[in-house]
Formats: sequence, C-alpha cells, structure tokens
Amino acid sequence: MNIAVLLKQVPDTTAKITVSNGKVDENSVNKWSMSPYDEYALESGLQMKEKTGGVLIAIACGPERNKKMLTDAAAVGADTLIHISANGIFDSIQVQNFLAAVIKKNEVDVVLCGKQAADTNSGSTGPGVAEILGAACVTMVSEVSFVENDFISVRPSVSGTEKVSTNGISVFTFDKGVSELRRPNVRGIMMAKKKVIETIKPEDLGLEEIDSQRVILQSQNSPPEKEPGQIYEGIEEIPSIISKLRNEANVI
Amino acid sequence: MGYEALDFYEVDSLLSDEERMVRDMVRDWVDEEVIPNIENACREGVFPDEWRVALGEMGVLGAPLKGYECPGLSYTAYGVICRELERGDSGLRSFASVQGSLAMYPIWDFGSEEQKNYYLPKMASGEWIGCFGLTEPDYGSNPGDMITKAEEVGDGYILNGAKMWITNGTIADLAIVWAKLDGVIRGFIVEKNDPGFSAPEMKGKHSLKASVTSELVFQDCKIPKNRILPGVKGLRGPFSCLNNARFGISWGAVGAAQACFYSAKDYAMSRIQFDHPIASYQLVQNKLSWMLREITKAQLLAYHLGQKKDTGDWIPEHISLAKMNNVDIALEIARVARDIHGANGILDEYPVMRHMANLESVKTYEGTHDIHNLILGRHITGIQSFTRGI
Repeated sequence: MNIAVLLKQVPDTTAKITVSNGKVDENSVNKWSMSPYDEYALESGLQMKEKTGGVLIAIACGPERNKKMLTDAAAVGADTLIHISANGIFDSIQVQNFLAAVIKKNEVDVVLCGKQAADTNSGSTGPGVAEILGAACVTMVSEVSFVENDFISVRPSVSGTEKVSTNGISVFTFDKGVSELRRPNVRGIMMAKKKVIETIKPEDLGLEEIDSQRVILQSQNSPPEKEPGQIYEGIEEIPSIISKLRNEANVI
Repeated sequence: MGYEALDFYEVDSLLSDEERMVRDMVRDWVDEEVIPNIENACREGVFPDEWRVALGEMGVLGAPLKGYECPGLSYTAYGVICRELERGDSGLRSFASVQGSLAMYPIWDFGSEEQKNYYLPKMASGEWIGCFGLTEPDYGSNPGDMITKAEEVGDGYILNGAKMWITNGTIADLAIVWAKLDGVIRGFIVEKNDPGFSAPEMKGKHSLKASVTSELVFQDCKIPKNRILPGVKGLRGPFSCLNNARFGISWGAVGAAQACFYSAKDYAMSRIQFDHPIASYQLVQNKLSWMLREITKAQLLAYHLGQKKDTGDWIPEHISLAKMNNVDIALEIARVARDIHGANGILDEYPVMRHMANLESVKTYEGTHDIHNLILGRHITGIQSFTRGI
C-alpha cells in the first residue's frame, strides 16, 4: 500500500511573528516546524505502514527549507521524500493541484494530512486534494486503520464518536490524533541523512492553467493588543467587583 | 514559551545536520520528560528508570563508539548530547557519561571480541547499566596507589577491596573495576550477582540527588578468567576512559550554565522592584552580560575541542582545560543566577539552586579543578607538582 502524508512547514509556536507592509515577514521567523496536525497524520501513517506493510511517501510543497522537515519525517520512518520546490506565492488551489499531481504519479492508495495548517488555518488542502483526485474524504478524524478492503476512520463528534468506512482512494484530515508523533532515534537520524529527497518543480508536473492565483491574500494584521487587566485592592472593592462580573462580564 | 538556547556566536550553526537533529531529539525529550519530573526525582533521591529506557530507545548511549550496535556518532555529537542532558540535570548527564565513556568505552577499546559482542549491544540499548570503579575511600586524586587487589586463582580471579563515589553503582548490572594484579593496574568486569560483590548506596547527598552514588565492596569476590580486560595495563586504562568522560563534561557544563542563564534572564525580565523589571538595572545587566560572555567562550572551547577529538588531533591537557574552565564558569553562573533570583532562587520552582549544588560535585569529580590546574602546570613547565618527598 502506498500511503501519502502531506506535510506543511509552519512557523514554530515559539517563533515571533512580525507583520510588515500588511504581510507576515517570513524572513523574520527563526524556527520552522512541522504543522502539529500533520504530525498526527504522519504518526497514523507510520502505524498503518507497520500493520499493513507498504511505503510511506512524505510530500511537502514550499521553499528549500522544507527539506529539513522531510528529513525529520524520514528519521521517524518515512520511506520516500518528495519536495515540490515551490518558491513564491501560490494559492490553495494551485498547491492542491501540485499535491494531487504528485499523488497520482505515485499511485497512492491513501492520503493523510492535518485538518488545517497551524499558520493559515484554512483547512482546504485535504478536501481540495480529494476533490481533484475524486477520492473519498473524511475530515477531522482521530485515527485511521485499514481493515480487509476498507479504511476505517474514527471521528469524535459532539455526542461521542463516529466510525466511518471508505473504500478506494481516500483522503483523511487529522484533528488531534490518538497518539503523538514518535520521537526519532539515532539510527533513524543516520538513515534519514542518507535518504535522497526527490525534488520536483511545479512546471514539471504537466499541469495546465496553474499559473494564475484565484485566492488572493490581501493583507495580514497582528491581533490587537490585549487591554490591560484591572486591579482592585481592599475589601471595600468587593461589591463593585461582583457587580462588574455580573453585569459587564456576565460570568456569574 | 519553549526553551531558547543562548547561542550568541551561533556556534551550533557549525554542527552537521545530523548533529543538529540529534540535538533537537534530546532537547525535546529533556523538555518533555526530564524537566517536569526532575525535582520529584531529586526529592525522592532516585534516577527514574524510564530515563534509562528512553536513553536506550533514542540510541544515544556510548554515542561515539562504532560497531557492536553502538550509535557511531561523532565526538561532537556526543558533546551535544551531554550538553542537552545536563541542561536538564547533571545527574542525568552523569548517568550517560558513566554508561558510555566509563563502562562501554573500556570494553570497546580494551575488551576481547567476546566481551564486546556480549556486553556492548546490551549496554547501548540501555538494557544493562554499567558503572566504573576507580576511586577508593583513601585514593581519589591519587588512584595509582589504590589498594584493591586481584589474585589469580585456578580458573578465575579473586578481588578484594572497596571503591567509593561510584555513579550508578547500586543500579548497575556490571562494574568495570580497576585493581592491582601483581602490582599492575588491570581492568575487570564484575557482574552484579558475582559472589562476594555488593554495592550499597551512599545516602545523604546535597548534590546530584537524582543520580545513584554507591560504594563497591569486594570480599573474596570471585570472577571467571574471561572477565579481565586484555587490552590495557596500568593507569592508561582508566585515564583514557576519564578523558572521554571529561570531554563530555566540558560540553555538559555548558548546558547547565545555559539553563541557569535562561532562568535568570526570564526572572529578571519579569521581576518588578522599585516599579521596574530588575533586568533594567545596571547591576543585573552586568551579571547577565558576564554570563553571556562566559557561556559564549565555553561554547567555543567545547566546539573546538569536539573538532579536535573528531580529527584525533588532541592531547589530554586540551580536555583538562575545557573541563576545568567550563565547570568553573557554570558553577559561578549558577551562583550568580541564584543571586538574581533573590530568595526565589532557593526554591525548587527554579532550576538554579539544583544546578548549583550539582555543579559542586561536577567541579570535584573526574579530576578536581585543582588537579586539572596541576596537569596544565606540568604541561607548561615540564615539572610535575602532584607529589613531593616530605
């Protein structure tokens, strides 16, 4: 079975984000990491590979720095690493087309990815890729397994959990999964170092009409500064605090 | 906010990709598993067994050794591992130093093929813990005069004597024991169930509380013939182990210093006195910039020594300088960091007092600070000053 895991590199949660001229300044980001929901997808893919056998193909789209993330994926067990070397700005439809083209070329049986990326939070990649591939798509899953000829996924819902089965090529997008991404070990790191990353340029994917952006990011802004808290001192303030909690904050 | 290591001169940018990946692996593990549990381990005075398992699973034990299922990393990578472990706790790094440099290394370098094949895979995986018996109650800086003796009898050896200050002793599955056979120092492998061998724990430490320290007692301890290390005679054996362990300590101390700096900076930025953060006062800034200066110098020493170890172009005196300097500044940084934390610095909510107490041991073990000065003094003058006729 060919298991594809789509990985996106995003600013680390500890990185400082600077906005200049209405756009996030990517050069100011000092640390890039694998998007956390993609980590759950990767772990699930590794477990599926261990149970059913097969090849885990890690695919990333973006600038050169993505190679580090692919090597990190190899250190925990990804077999094939594919880097779609896309420098510049591409919209979600373009990226979905790139990913789908690589997935088709590699005769993939199942595609796993995060439900959304930790930077853009748009949540469009999984369903978009499924649409292009004509694949079944189940979003917000916590686990996926392959039983006989079906993929069985579990999706937490408000009233409990749902079990969904799909057959044929399927795309699953991960919410918080049941197990965290495994830690690498020295052996994995040394093997990963030797692994060749296949680099593909978008123009070599044989796609038509991919040069125009249709989803355009107009501007980005930092969240507004939080208003400072209010400080009350002394017992005489208690009635006014209670009144504010009751009438202004509506919490009691 | 996650830990952001002080690396003013971007020394880590000189590491290979592989070394950086190993660094991140160990650093993440220390953040997730060690730092949240270290104070509890210290309070209970135990080395958590999960840490042994995790170190084995990560595959970092005996880091620079090649073959026999050992990791086969560079010495620089070994240094980086020690640094990241000691950012958590010196006791944790001590465990790894003893396992890798003091117990696995002598088997790897001086052991028979049979010994290497039998012991090294089990030790690299963390299944078996090793310890190292050189120091005796009356012979610390002067191990050459050790009393522990081995006698050849029929099909084996009989050991008699006692070792002290042995990290991992009580929890170890095997001990590398240095003893005199016909007046010549030789290395022996003693297993925990060998008759006449016991390893009682030393209690009451104010330092390295999450590390096990023991005595090793040999009362007519009988071991088979194939447990002698065939490849070395004399003090060169234990000293070559110590060179590797001291190399790791010179990196490890940087990790402890970084942890103290990180905590002191964080505290100084948020602690308000006289209406302003104490970080805005010149006396505190002076302390922080002194820490940055010393940590940066120590990082450069450690890195350059790592490169020398990897090319084989080194002498023991190079290691003495780095061990002595880096532990010395780390201890002083821990003390100054405690000072910046004010009264809060004595609480276990902050790591500084723990590092400070740990580093007092680190300053003394693996060649005391003073002995390393004498090693350098001998190197400069050609005159040894360890001993003299009285």
